[in-house]
Amino acid sequence: MSAAPLVEMIGIEKHFGGIRAVDGVSIDLHRGEVVGLLGHNGAGKSCLMRILSGAMAPSGGEIRIMGEPVSFTEPNDAREAGIETIYQTLALADHLDAPANLFLGRELKTRFGNLDDRAMLKAAREVLARLNPNFKNLGDPVSSLSGGQRQVIAIARAIYFDTKVLIMDEPTAALGPSETAMVAGLIKELRAEGIGIFLVSHDMHDVFELCDRVVVMNKGRLVGSHAIDEVTKDDVLSLIVKGELPADWSARNLTQAAQHA
Amino acid sequence: MSDASKPASEFGLSGMIPAGVSLHRLSALLTLCLLIAGFALSSPAFFSINNGLTILLQTSVIGLLGIGMTLVIVTGGIDLSVGSVLALSGVVSAMAVKAGVPVVPAMGAGVAAGAACGAFNGLVITKLRIPPFVATLGMMLIARGLALQLTGAIPISGLGEAFGLLGNGALFRVVEMRPNGFPNVIFPGIPYPAILLLIVAVAVAYLLRRRQIGRHIFATGSNEEAARLSGVRVDRTKLYAYTMSGALAGLAGNVLMSRLITAQPSEGVMAELDAIAAAVIGGASLSGGVGTISGTMIGAFIIGILRNGLNMAGVSAFIQQIVIGFVVIGAVWIDQIRNRP
Ligand SMILES: Nc1ncnc2c1ncn2[C@@H]1O[C@H](COP(=O)(O)OP(=O)(O)OP(=O)(O)O)[C@@H](O)[C@H]1O
Ligand SMILES: [Mg+2]
Repeated sequence: MSAAPLVEMIGIEKHFGGIRAVDGVSIDLHRGEVVGLLGHNGAGKSCLMRILSGAMAPSGGEIRIMGEPVSFTEPNDAREAGIETIYQTLALADHLDAPANLFLGRELKTRFGNLDDRAMLKAAREVLARLNPNFKNLGDPVSSLSGGQRQVIAIARAIYFDTKVLIMDEPTAALGPSETAMVAGLIKELRAEGIGIFLVSHDMHDVFELCDRVVVMNKGRLVGSHAIDEVTKDDVLSLIVKGELPADWSARNLTQAAQHA
Repeated sequence: MSDASKPASEFGLSGMIPAGVSLHRLSALLTLCLLIAGFALSSPAFFSINNGLTILLQTSVIGLLGIGMTLVIVTGGIDLSVGSVLALSGVVSAMAVKAGVPVVPAMGAGVAAGAACGAFNGLVITKLRIPPFVATLGMMLIARGLALQLTGAIPISGLGEAFGLLGNGALFRVVEMRPNGFPNVIFPGIPYPAILLLIVAVAVAYLLRRRQIGRHIFATGSNEEAARLSGVRVDRTKLYAYTMSGALAGLAGNVLMSRLITAQPSEGVMAELDAIAAAVIGGASLSGGVGTISGTMIGAFIIGILRNGLNMAGVSAFIQQIVIGFVVIGAVWIDQIRNRP
């Protein structure tokens, strides 16, 4: 590989008291690559992603962005490095409306430093229409919106700004079929633009349709990293559930992948 | 409904116009009108100009405290220290005057002392991770203790006429000298405290509606973790709110002490409850993320008029407490009903 990867996470650790939520995990992500991150509930996927987005401090390990070691102390640091995140919890302020949430922390301002609500509304209308043409109630507090609409706001917020790395933690969990298809299309579009994407998902179908590579975590450890055409759904399922590939898989492939990671 | 992000047309005192006003504020406004009508009928003296001025003065103190309290409550916190900080600030100003500092910088020092108390609250809450209730309860004792210790619990009087100007002066006051040498007030003018309250209310409403810090105050109270993940500097936002609350308590203290032309270290006991009541009656939610300055102003007037009207009607201070206690519970109850899905 000539250019340094967009993201390298090396030997990341996260401990909560005695629990090893993330246990020496190393992964990387390249430009225009979609990496699926899979694992059982509580495997540590969200923790790993939150460490990359600056929302959680790692107990150990190193992060490099385009070859440069970085240390994120707050989400703003990661955002400045071009890392945008759609959190599993969506991270929306319930009492604010969609435009206010979209621009939260990065509000547009007028010449006098006032909030430019008109510009934010206009921009929000455009970016939301791209994801869901039926999105009308932009002035309502997001607490009164449906789960899918809320998710669309969280997605819109992550793609609106100048993004290099996109972390999507179960972005389609609350979406209907047409919105899910829209997000799938969006992921392909963003990949074509050269954006690197971590996609956390439990949906095997989505993962196989969208990802170039799958990375599987089991009980905090990385148990496999494979090009998508190297494995079948059953192989991945076995990695998720048992933490290892089926017995008939050649062991040589596995050690090679582990060294690579 | 929170209209934290409504367009510019609806900030500040223009929010008192029924159009676009939330149900809660409308009912508060209605309560206010009913109170005024009721007291006017029960006591003719209630509607006199002099009494109107008294109400304005009383309300300006509650209002200033209430505005600061609203900022804090919107972040999801509470500030129990404002009554004590009010006293400490007045004492600091008076001591500065006694030390020979001119009145304006002396009062500035008092307000700065209030802001420092508020900043201390904010730091304790954000850095030591102490819940606001406990942190500001501590400050309530610290500031009161300081005020009493500094003065030896003896009021500081003889502060000079200039010190009394802020609390007793008025804009456009017309006074005519009678032949017998006594002044005759033709038009009492607009008291300075009322003007001060108006300016502060408009400024803070602008801050909440139109500035980034205001947006962040709402976001912090609405969902602190979401705000943090969105890049809002939650700690800095809270520090700002508590510092503002302290500074406004300092300002209120100076207004009050100036009116008395005496620094009373024991002044403002339980004033924090009036401030909280004003904010809650005005629609601020104690769970954060909701509140308006116009609502708080209505709340402050309700408390001020209730106190004054009950006084005029000869109701004892004890009964007044009981009444106001019920009013606060009623206001929160209405809030609960309103928020029920
Ligand atoms: N703030 C926290 N404090 C203590 N333990 C935590 C915390 N956050 C996560 N954990 C623990 O870390 C482990 C990994 O959690 P994580 O959220 O990363 O799982 P996940 O792989 O995202 O699961 P899911 O598929 O359910 O989203 C879990 O055992 C969880 O209990
Ligand atoms: Mg998760």
